[in-house]
Amino acid sequence: MKRTGLVIAVLALCMMLSGAALAQTIEVWHIYVSNHQTRPTLDHAIERFEAANPGVKIESVPIVNDEYKTKLMISMGAGDEPDIFLSWGGGPLLEYVNAGKVWDMKDALEETGLKDNFMDVTLGPVNFNGGIYGVPLNNVVGAAIFYRTDIFERLGLEIPTTLEELYEVAEVLKANNIYPFTLANFNRWTGSMFFMYLVDRIGGPETFENAANRTGGAFNDEPFVRAGEIIQDMVDAGFFPPGFNSMNEDYGQSRTLLYTGQAAMYLMGSWATATITTENPDVLENIDFFLFPAVEGGKGDPTNMIGTPGNNYFSISNKCENKELALEFLRYMTDSTSAELLVQANAIPPFVGGGDLLTNPLMIKLFETVQAANNVQLWYDQYLPPELAQVHLDTTQAIFGGTMTPQEAADAMEAAAQRFYNE
Amino acid sequence: MNKLKQLLRSDKVAAFVFLAPALFFFGLYMIAPVPMSTYYSLHRWSGIGEKIYIGLQNWGELIKDPIFWLSFKNNLKLVVVSIGTQLPVALLLAVFLSSKTTRLAGLFKTIYFIPLLFSSVAIGVMWRYIYDTNFGLVNVFLRNVGLFSWAKDWLGDPKLALYSVMVAINWRFIPFYMILFLAAIVAIPEELFEAAMIDGAKGIQVFRHITLPMLRPTIINAAVLSLVGALKFFDIIFAMTGGGPHHASELMATYMYKRSFVDFRMGYGSTVAVAIFLIAMVLSLAFLRFTRRSSELD
Repeated sequence: MKRTGLVIAVLALCMMLSGAALAQTIEVWHIYVSNHQTRPTLDHAIERFEAANPGVKIESVPIVNDEYKTKLMISMGAGDEPDIFLSWGGGPLLEYVNAGKVWDMKDALEETGLKDNFMDVTLGPVNFNGGIYGVPLNNVVGAAIFYRTDIFERLGLEIPTTLEELYEVAEVLKANNIYPFTLANFNRWTGSMFFMYLVDRIGGPETFENAANRTGGAFNDEPFVRAGEIIQDMVDAGFFPPGFNSMNEDYGQSRTLLYTGQAAMYLMGSWATATITTENPDVLENIDFFLFPAVEGGKGDPTNMIGTPGNNYFSISNKCENKELALEFLRYMTDSTSAELLVQANAIPPFVGGGDLLTNPLMIKLFETVQAANNVQLWYDQYLPPELAQVHLDTTQAIFGGTMTPQEAADAMEAAAQRFYNE
Repeated sequence: MNKLKQLLRSDKVAAFVFLAPALFFFGLYMIAPVPMSTYYSLHRWSGIGEKIYIGLQNWGELIKDPIFWLSFKNNLKLVVVSIGTQLPVALLLAVFLSSKTTRLAGLFKTIYFIPLLFSSVAIGVMWRYIYDTNFGLVNVFLRNVGLFSWAKDWLGDPKLALYSVMVAINWRFIPFYMILFLAAIVAIPEELFEAAMIDGAKGIQVFRHITLPMLRPTIINAAVLSLVGALKFFDIIFAMTGGGPHHASELMATYMYKRSFVDFRMGYGSTVAVAIFLIAMVLSLAFLRFTRRSSELD
């Protein structure tokens, strides 16, 4: 009697195992939770891929942005990584590449012809040691100052092209009880945009490149200190809403002020148009943007932008058993149907010809602005190794909060870099 | 052969067999990580790649790490505030609820108990909204009653952030100690109270001479729980401030998390973890010793 039970159990187990082997699954981890603007594109690509490849199932696992980064790292450490995972390229992805976790898809991209779909510049953040470790997914992004056109019109304000003019605009806004900028700096990368732009406008892109690549520059060079001083001056001048250092960008606490007209300007990556389209499409009519103004006497070209040429990237792990199928799925994710869906969500598809699909004048203007930029600097926190990225974000938040002087913050960042590179 | 049978039938073996599964998981998740973390703390390790042995270098860095000591200080503040406010308030509520003259004690018991039933992250998110500078309950209320200068940036001001979070932490943990005390008060033999009444003791006197001494072991246990809990506290702080702004509300545990999982420095993160373990152990042993000695003096 006992034995019969055992036999049945073993048989059941065998059947379960063989059933699992029959249907192939590809596990995809991403941050496209249900209200994310790229979610429809992903869902549609999965649907089309599964229809064309019977017996293959895509297991889509959405995880909220910040938690996602932790979960991915733990799974990598435990050797339990998914077949396809999302990243932002740059320093963190390089950690996984160096640990031998990520598949170099360069040859496969060339053989399948998929590579022709991407401009070289969009592959920059996933290009390490001559290999290609991912494909861009959802947006060509440059950070810009988005503003409420209705408020600017009502108060007769002109678009500021220099820092001085920005201060004048801010004075008028404050006199009318409107916060000049909205900013949710709990997340730290939001305030970092002001810092990155100021450093670029003061010292040009070489300032950061030389410090980060350790080619004759340092993180306490004058432009970094000066940028910090300007930020603290902006804080003192009341540029930002009260409590900005505890407001959370992920919860939309910054945009609430923009939507309600309590704040007029919003320095953000150009995904803001897609976010606003999802959250509050009516406001989009009254939204335009301008580039971060020039700093008097600064060396940076005011067409320079900070951003990312592809925003999110999908990489295939070395552990993935069927890399060809996974790559085939990435083809669906980046084909013309996906591009059209991205355009509908007011994003700029980072694929060849993606810009030509745009119809919304605001999006066309954004795309042209990014194209015309003399230099597009990748976000510091994606460019730098994770450890230094955190020091940058922390010290920048401290500058905004007034708990560190610009000089102290710059020295702390430089000390961390020297320690990291064993100088 | 007979001996073996006897052994198998003995209670000790049965007890061991029944405890084995729990013991296995306890060992795996509670005991094994201690030596493992100690081992990792001697390495430079990103958590994914190779481990490089660097001796005591991480420990040297930890001793000179100002952020670690800042978070240690914050933990001590949390210990003082937790023991100093949670236990007295919980005791007060427990006495109030156990009193026979309290009407609707059952209803209040349920209401007071509710905070303990929420998940920590939900509590963190809820309190974030309560403290929101522009639209939050606290500031909107203060502004509506005209106290404009009282409306503060509760979570963004480095001087206030830690204390603001402590309010939420207290709100959550007072019910736990309240239930603990309530159970202990109910267990005090009725005759003692009756005897005190006959001797003419009034409310406060009964509390001082009967309730409080009888609760002594429970209070000590609660204090140790609160001490250790405050030393390794993580979740509500993480959900509310993430240790920010600029480490103002950083605790040792949030710092450990950041070093390990955000900076990719698992080796250094393990060093922080082992340090937390050592600090918590030393402080709770010292506390237990101190309370034992003072009870011998009684």
